[in-house]
Amino acid sequence: MRAEGVESLYPFLYAVDGDLEGVLAEVRRSTVEKATEIVALRRRLAEEQGERLAACAAEMAARFETGGRLLTFGNGGSSTDAADVAQLFLQPRQGRPLPAFCLGSGMAILTALSNDVGFDVVYARQVAAFGRAGDMVFGISTSGGSQNVLRAFEEAHRRGLLTVGMAGYEGGQMAESGLVDHLFVVPSASVHRIQEAQTTAYHVLWTLVQEALGPCAAPG
Amino acid sequence: MTSAVREFDRRVEPGLALVESAEKIARACHAMAARFHRGGKLLVFGNGGGATDAEHIAVEFVHPVVVGKIALPALSLAADPTVVTGIAAREGFAEVFAHQLRQLGDPADIALGVSSDGRCANVRRGLEQARELGLLTVALAGGDGGPLATSPAVDHLVVVPSDDPQVVKEMHVTTYHVLWELVHVFFEHPGVLTEIPGGHPRTPGPAVTP
Repeated sequence: MRAEGVESLYPFLYAVDGDLEGVLAEVRRSTVEKATEIVALRRRLAEEQGERLAACAAEMAARFETGGRLLTFGNGGSSTDAADVAQLFLQPRQGRPLPAFCLGSGMAILTALSNDVGFDVVYARQVAAFGRAGDMVFGISTSGGSQNVLRAFEEAHRRGLLTVGMAGYEGGQMAESGLVDHLFVVPSASVHRIQEAQTTAYHVLWTLVQEALGPCAAPG
Repeated sequence: MTSAVREFDRRVEPGLALVESAEKIARACHAMAARFHRGGKLLVFGNGGGATDAEHIAVEFVHPVVVGKIALPALSLAADPTVVTGIAAREGFAEVFAHQLRQLGDPADIALGVSSDGRCANVRRGLEQARELGLLTVALAGGDGGPLATSPAVDHLVVVPSDDPQVVKEMHVTTYHVLWELVHVFFEHPGVLTEIPGGHPRTPGPAVTP
């Protein structure tokens, strides 16, 4: 029996809504659900888009062989994916280092373009400044509808760059635009699962590019 | 089997291993939620791919993708090249996170270090410094966990059993998405957030030692 006086002195010992074991069980279940969901989503991606990833990697490898560079971009969590793609190609632990850089990493450039022109042009203007016809762009979005990503694809497409894109849901405007040569859509309605599957997809893409480039490139 | 399918296939086992970490993740979320509840903030750090994780985690907490979830304070210590290169040039690369933790860390905060093999010296130093200051310490690692697996400075450790840094990173992304989501589940049950006022379930840090 709890003494009410003691309970008011030490409320943390008797937290009324504090069924800790119940909440812990709930969150454990949630983790198991999410883990199972992403494993299934990756399996579906392998089946439905594995061949297309290999075809994209072959084209990218050919461009790298002739001096092409990879420019990457995205917003929010996807900007960290863009940064991860660029650093993986540029300085892999194993395999061939390749020229790649992320257009979201220069704070002065991003804020200057946003402040002076508008956020929609932050990547397109950089594609115009850096992009050569033999280069490639990699744009990533969960919705497929980020205006600055779409504008960058438009600029890259116009200049003859190879355009590679990743999106979620049903691909959004990225799928409708016709501007993306190789588009990989993760068929999920969860932003989190989409990002997780995209991470695997671009890692696999990198591995396939390394394989296409030659024997020294095979990662462990 | 094509290369692409083989590559996806070797993710299945590490993906399912996350299920085994459900208990650890739940305990870490509980401790993190208690720290946020006390007014603490999250300080995140890592190198290379781990630096991109640090920034992703920061934006996840500060600007939630799910409408209606409150913004929680989180900062990446790897985001500013001015600061990172400045400290690295003067004190050495191993100190880049520890230095920032000394200046920016409060005892109620959470330090979260990301290292795909557990062997990043600056991540280990950051966690040690954080523990000394009384912060809750959480680490995401891979492989055998390296020195982080046995470090007394780490309160909560999730290790992805893979030696491939890319595979480890992918499982980390799911892990921190789940960490974010479940911290908010604990927020829906505020009664359970006051049960571990110190937040150090294993060994008490200096700030909570009586």
